[in-house]
Amino acid sequence: MSSPVLQAVAVKKHYRLAKHEIPVLRGIDLSVQAGETVALLGASGAGKSTLLHVLGLLDPPTAGEVHFDGQRVDNLTIGQRAALRHRHVGFVFQFYHLIPELTALQNVLLARMMTTSVWQFWRQRKQAKAAATALLEQVGLGDRLRHRPSELSGGERQRVAIARALLAEPKVVLADEPTGNLDSTTARGVVDLIFEIQRQRGLAFLLVTHDERLAQRCHRIVRMQDGVVVS
Amino acid sequence: MIAAFSPFLALRYLLTRRINLLGVFGVMFAVWAIVLVDSVFTGFVGQIRDDVRSSATDLMLTDLPHDTSYLALRTALVTDEDVVATAPRLRHHGMLQPLRRGRQDNRYQTSSQVDFDHTVNGFATMLGIEPAEEEAVSGLRQWLVRGPEELTRLYTSDFWPSPVFDERAPERKARMLLPNDAEWTARRRAGMPTEADSSRHRSDWPGVVLGWQRVRRMRWFEPAEAFDLLCASFQGGEVNATLHTHSTRVAFAGCFATGHRTFDETMVLMPITTLRSMLGQDAKDPSSIDIVTDVAVRVRAGLSSAQLANCKRRLQALAQAVLRPGSAPCLVADWEEQNQVFLSAVAHEQGMMQFVLFVVMLVAAFVIYATLHMMVVQKVRDIGILAAIGGSPRGIGAVFLLGGLTVAVVGTLLGVGTGVLSALALNDVNDWLHAQTGLELFPRRLFDLREVPCRLAPSWIATVAIGAVVLALVVAFIPSRKAARMHPVEALSHE
Ligand SMILES: Nc1ncnc2c1ncn2[C@@H]1O[C@H](COP(=O)(O)OP(=O)(O)OP(=O)(O)O)[C@@H](O)[C@H]1O
Ligand SMILES: [Mg+2]
Repeated sequence: MSSPVLQAVAVKKHYRLAKHEIPVLRGIDLSVQAGETVALLGASGAGKSTLLHVLGLLDPPTAGEVHFDGQRVDNLTIGQRAALRHRHVGFVFQFYHLIPELTALQNVLLARMMTTSVWQFWRQRKQAKAAATALLEQVGLGDRLRHRPSELSGGERQRVAIARALLAEPKVVLADEPTGNLDSTTARGVVDLIFEIQRQRGLAFLLVTHDERLAQRCHRIVRMQDGVVVS
Repeated sequence: MIAAFSPFLALRYLLTRRINLLGVFGVMFAVWAIVLVDSVFTGFVGQIRDDVRSSATDLMLTDLPHDTSYLALRTALVTDEDVVATAPRLRHHGMLQPLRRGRQDNRYQTSSQVDFDHTVNGFATMLGIEPAEEEAVSGLRQWLVRGPEELTRLYTSDFWPSPVFDERAPERKARMLLPNDAEWTARRRAGMPTEADSSRHRSDWPGVVLGWQRVRRMRWFEPAEAFDLLCASFQGGEVNATLHTHSTRVAFAGCFATGHRTFDETMVLMPITTLRSMLGQDAKDPSSIDIVTDVAVRVRAGLSSAQLANCKRRLQALAQAVLRPGSAPCLVADWEEQNQVFLSAVAHEQGMMQFVLFVVMLVAAFVIYATLHMMVVQKVRDIGILAAIGGSPRGIGAVFLLGGLTVAVVGTLLGVGTGVLSALALNDVNDWLHAQTGLELFPRRLFDLREVPCRLAPSWIATVAIGAVVLALVVAFIPSRKAARMHPVEALSHE
């Protein structure tokens, strides 16, 4: 395999709660190769979500470095980090996190509007719309474009969230318990879809889960406990 | 650069939240009120200033000692190159007393009745003028046109124009005498002894011209109707002055209107010679003085305000040099200074009005602030999502800033539109309401106006519009900064 696309080097993360420093990540080293799927397992409170946020540049580490494509990125400005996140990282969350006022199509399209100006977006709106529609069709929601999240089931919402994560064609998808809120049949459907797309696009895929069987489908399993990687 | 998602989401959020209409209506109402009320106010103030200006002269020399001779002052003043004309003015307090028809002989005679309703008599400021000179310094000619106009409008029958200033003979004009036949007819009507034939009568009653406000409260409308003019004065030196009362029979010689309400209500124009002799300075007496209390001055047209200020200073010095040494300083006032108290009261009122309206605008801005703040609080999770999919803090803040901006712009446009329309339609609406319900939004009678004056000032409207939008941006900045500074992870886990 090639060089790591995403890498954590001695990452520490502390939270400060009323003068107490609470160590959540105590020195994590982790690399994810391009096209690799990694499952992140660990008890509740082990720091899995925190690590995911740090790797996705949503939260800066207290110490240590985050590298993206061999470049250090944790020290970039807040705006640069936002742009990087937009272009290279797709997030999928347990609670879908769609915007309730927007239709499925608009929720996906939103991913195209984050860094383009009004004028640029207006000029490429047709292609953007076509791309978003194609993605929604791929996740099996071709007939649900104009539905709002409240009119969709949990599984459908998660598919919309996956389509949104993919629209900007990221290299890495970070998923935090994407099936945690779904029944097992629906979950299997969603997971199959994710792995299929991952294979097609050669994405690096970091999956936080509590489900051992699901973890087994990944190339590699990383276990965490109390803020450190144990295996 | 503004990322495309900011305006897109701002619009989506606004359209799905009817509460934002509150902000739109708030701004619209405030702008509407400011545009409409201020244009009416500007109209009123403009009209009042125009009227006051037309009642005043370019400059007025005043605060003169009571024994000042006009001729000496005039001689000094006309040496100034900017002075075009001067005219004497003599002011004194007096009272009008109409004649009453006697019970036995059915003749008009001096009455002892006092009527505190001012319907037939009343106190007045007698303003002695020299008609020929007065015409050259003040708007006297226009006043005499406007007076009958106002009364005609009020009574819908033509009121007669004053004949006394068209008199050819200078000495008759100076005494403002009415035509012989007019006075003869009036004497006849009053049952006074007259020549048998009007052509042999020579007018003898000095004419007085009354403000239209006074005329409309009186019962006599016929030319040359006689009445008595009373005044009291102290005569005979500074220390041992004795009180003198005078009564002069005068004739009603016409009606004037300057539009300046207090002027029209209080002033009675009369020949200065008549007033002088009432005050003990009869022209036939060789020791008499041609006294004046003020000198009205017309200056060259088109003087800049700096030139006018210089002119005022020069004239003051010229006049002061004529006065007895040790006299209190005299004053040269321009038209605004002549009515300073009145004009500054009016301006102050407009300022107060604008302040009240500004408070209305603040309330509207607060509504925008409150709705946006609420929106940010409701949208914490969305803010986290936007951050996760790559929204920059600036772009996230812009969602809410643009929301506030849109509310303000829409509200302002609606406000300016409705404000201008209602200002234009104001008189029609007022008339229509009056015709339908008898109600008058703007009681014109109260202000003696033909129509509600309304002046739309484009620069003021632009100021209000820009001000409203800027104010909204300022208040919208606070919630939008709160949104931009939110920590993405905390926002995402917000319940
Ligand atoms: N903002 C915060 N302030 C203080 N402590 C925090 C904060 N966020 C997380 N923590 C703490 O960090 C620890 C790790 O949290 P994290 O969410 O990463 O766990 P997790 O492994 O994802 O658990 P789960 O499986 O339940 O999702 C927890 O003990 C949590 O209490
Ligand atoms: Mg977690």
